[in-house]
Amino acid sequence: MTAVLLALRLGRWGIVGFSLAGFVFNFVNAVGFFQIAGHTPQERAALGATMSALAAQLVVLLPPPIRPDTVAGYVQFRGFNSLAILFAVWALASATGFARADEEKGLVESELATGTSRVALVGSRVLAFAIGLAVAAAMAGMAFVLGVASGNESFERGRVVEAAANLVALGLACYGISLLVSQLTAARFATAAAGAVLLALFFLNSLSRVFSWLSTWRWLSPFRYYDLSQPLPQGGQLDVRAFLVLLGIALVASSAAAFAFWRRDLGGALVRVPMRAGPPRYEPSTSPWWRYPVLRGVYERRLGVLAWSAGVAALAVLFVSLTRTIVNVLLNIPALLPYLSIFVHQQLYPAVLGYTWLNVAQLLFAGLAITHVARWSAEDSDGRLEMALSAPYSRAAVVVERMAVLVAVALVVAAVSGLTLYYASHANGIDLSVPRLTAASLMLVPFALVFAGAGALLASWNPRATVGLLGAFAFASYLDTELGPVFKLPLWLQDLSAFKLFGTPLVTGVEWRSVTLMLLLAAAGVGSSILLMQRRDVGR
Amino acid sequence: MLALRVAPPAIRTDRLSKDYGVGRGLFELDLQVTGQEVFGYLGPNGSGKTTTIRLLMGMIRPTGGTAHVFGLDCVRDSVQVKRKVGYLPGDVPQYGSLTGDEVIAYLGGMRGGVDRRRVHRLAERFDLDLSRRFREYSSGNKQKLAIVVAFMHRPDLLILDEPTSGLDPLNQQEFYALLRETRDDGATVFLSSHILSEVEHVCDRVGIIRDGRLVRVAELDDLRHIRVHRVEIEFAPGTPIPEREIRAAEGVEEMKAEGDRITCTVRGSFDPLLHALRDATVTDLVSTEPSLEDVFLSYFSEPRRRLLTS
Repeated sequence: MTAVLLALRLGRWGIVGFSLAGFVFNFVNAVGFFQIAGHTPQERAALGATMSALAAQLVVLLPPPIRPDTVAGYVQFRGFNSLAILFAVWALASATGFARADEEKGLVESELATGTSRVALVGSRVLAFAIGLAVAAAMAGMAFVLGVASGNESFERGRVVEAAANLVALGLACYGISLLVSQLTAARFATAAAGAVLLALFFLNSLSRVFSWLSTWRWLSPFRYYDLSQPLPQGGQLDVRAFLVLLGIALVASSAAAFAFWRRDLGGALVRVPMRAGPPRYEPSTSPWWRYPVLRGVYERRLGVLAWSAGVAALAVLFVSLTRTIVNVLLNIPALLPYLSIFVHQQLYPAVLGYTWLNVAQLLFAGLAITHVARWSAEDSDGRLEMALSAPYSRAAVVVERMAVLVAVALVVAAVSGLTLYYASHANGIDLSVPRLTAASLMLVPFALVFAGAGALLASWNPRATVGLLGAFAFASYLDTELGPVFKLPLWLQDLSAFKLFGTPLVTGVEWRSVTLMLLLAAAGVGSSILLMQRRDVGR
Repeated sequence: MLALRVAPPAIRTDRLSKDYGVGRGLFELDLQVTGQEVFGYLGPNGSGKTTTIRLLMGMIRPTGGTAHVFGLDCVRDSVQVKRKVGYLPGDVPQYGSLTGDEVIAYLGGMRGGVDRRRVHRLAERFDLDLSRRFREYSSGNKQKLAIVVAFMHRPDLLILDEPTSGLDPLNQQEFYALLRETRDDGATVFLSSHILSEVEHVCDRVGIIRDGRLVRVAELDDLRHIRVHRVEIEFAPGTPIPEREIRAAEGVEEMKAEGDRITCTVRGSFDPLLHALRDATVTDLVSTEPSLEDVFLSYFSEPRRRLLTS
């Protein structure tokens, strides 16, 4: 019991953050539905058609909606199904945090020293995460109830409970899988390996919606079993077998993780590659990269840069190959034909590619910025910042160099993304304007800088809370774009969102006002960060 | 006429304070460390040693007073200060999967002007294999890496926060030798410790801090009066016990006799006690050094403290 309480305490900010995210996301979507849906059957049918078109473009992210012309179908599609991705990320962070980060900090060793068995320790963490998930899913369900009540419509309570339970089951399955993978690899690869496995399982399921040859393998993915249940709208239901399979995956993977944890050494991997012992070396590294500001930061992250570049390139190829399929789906929606006919011979492919790929690319670049910011806040707590400041280096220089490293890394990843998109689209017979593609790719850099600027400010103000607050900022930014027009928010407020400022550069070209605003936002973040950094105390 | 220019002290603080509230922090520290000396900064855990060091390094800002290193203000001129300083923090920073040689190259690159041969000699001296990943190092090896980083650029002043924690006795001796060489080469060393015998080994002068206030600055000889040992002596059964001689021996206090055993405390040299025991048949003699807190409780109890500071 004590171990569960400790685990809940360690994960309290995750529980608070994701509960809040679940609540806000579903509530805003439910209330937003009544803002945009209208009241007549015709208006709602029109919204349903629009949602179907949107779903066709988001087919690699979200399952097709059921009755998107109703509030339940709309929130299942835009709310709960999006939260499923968010909760999978939470499961990944939480599981690898326990399996590796807590181990590196010595927390796991201390707990085991109290006489807690390894299996009991794993069990306590799984139970604590399940409690956290249940709280967050309940909040998401409650938000739906409140949102529907605001529109004076009715709902079935049992369906809400089923939708929340489905979310919990998926989260637990992802947690178990991440926990298992973390046990098998070396500590420094644990998060990347578990993330790669979850991502592969996610795409295995979502791509099987487009590529039929993948459907024979999708039974391997827990996301498939989540998709089988869409209990919220009329016409959907909770697939009890799929739900039990999700719980079964969670149980088997967590048990296997507990077994692996019991078998392996603390700090080691279950499968250890024997290292060849060489003679000791007393020389500092001869690599010239370490000598130059910015370059040393990029060089230090070289494996990360390679992984990001490869991942972004692979996704770019994937989205290009999906574009024709998505366009065909869109052309088969009669209600959309009058609208699409304007673009068919001109910009339909760039428009679809711009919408699908660049939306995903924005999320990826926001993620890239957040990983850098997470590193900055970690440098504060692990003493690296103190050590850097013991060199003749001003605090302002530290902030500026951090930003410059991010710019350099983002430029490399954006260049790889742009080149891959160009060659892949060319190979698929899709003609993209080279200047616009270049501009769109380069726009990702100031876009990432907006998040980095906010992150720099937060890291200087309160490094411990930085990642959570920046995640909330990114989430609010996204909601601002998605729902700002729905709720008729003032333009200046909508313009604070980097997602809105990014625009549609592949179709309409670069809006320099937006670029300037993004750079100003980033500069404001960096400037404030430098001022705060000068004033604050450094050291654990 | 020739104008003589006096070199500023390596460290000077004037009423330096950092108030964390509820009586925690550092209060009105007046301290001067001259060039080419090894200055020990002695105090129990939580007494304000690390706070002082972080103030000197410009990591934290004072709530009152000033600190200067070689005449440079530690807040305003912190970059210039750090050009002259080698720093070893109390908690070794975590460098994860970087190898030792990469950590050296990274920090050496930030600092510039690091002599590779110097790094080689230091690493070899402490038998520190720089090809290993930081996270694979034992705590002792992590401490050795921090020592190499602090000494690698031949700084004029070394500020070291409990530098021997985690080192085995052999490496501690090697480190003490390095300190003496560094001082002989002209550098100044400011090191904090909570081990009395350690500062006795290497320091020329010692500042003693308790509850955030400097209690005393002492020469090495003065420490002998502070240093105290608990001694337990066991005599062969039936042999005479020189109780009177022991009680009369200089430095012996709090003596208690119980059967064939005597317990007492010894302040300063052991010679008078050993002299008193010269004719007795001793079967066992155990001497233990009490914690610094115990020493402070016995030595800096209020009446003595008033006496010392008056």
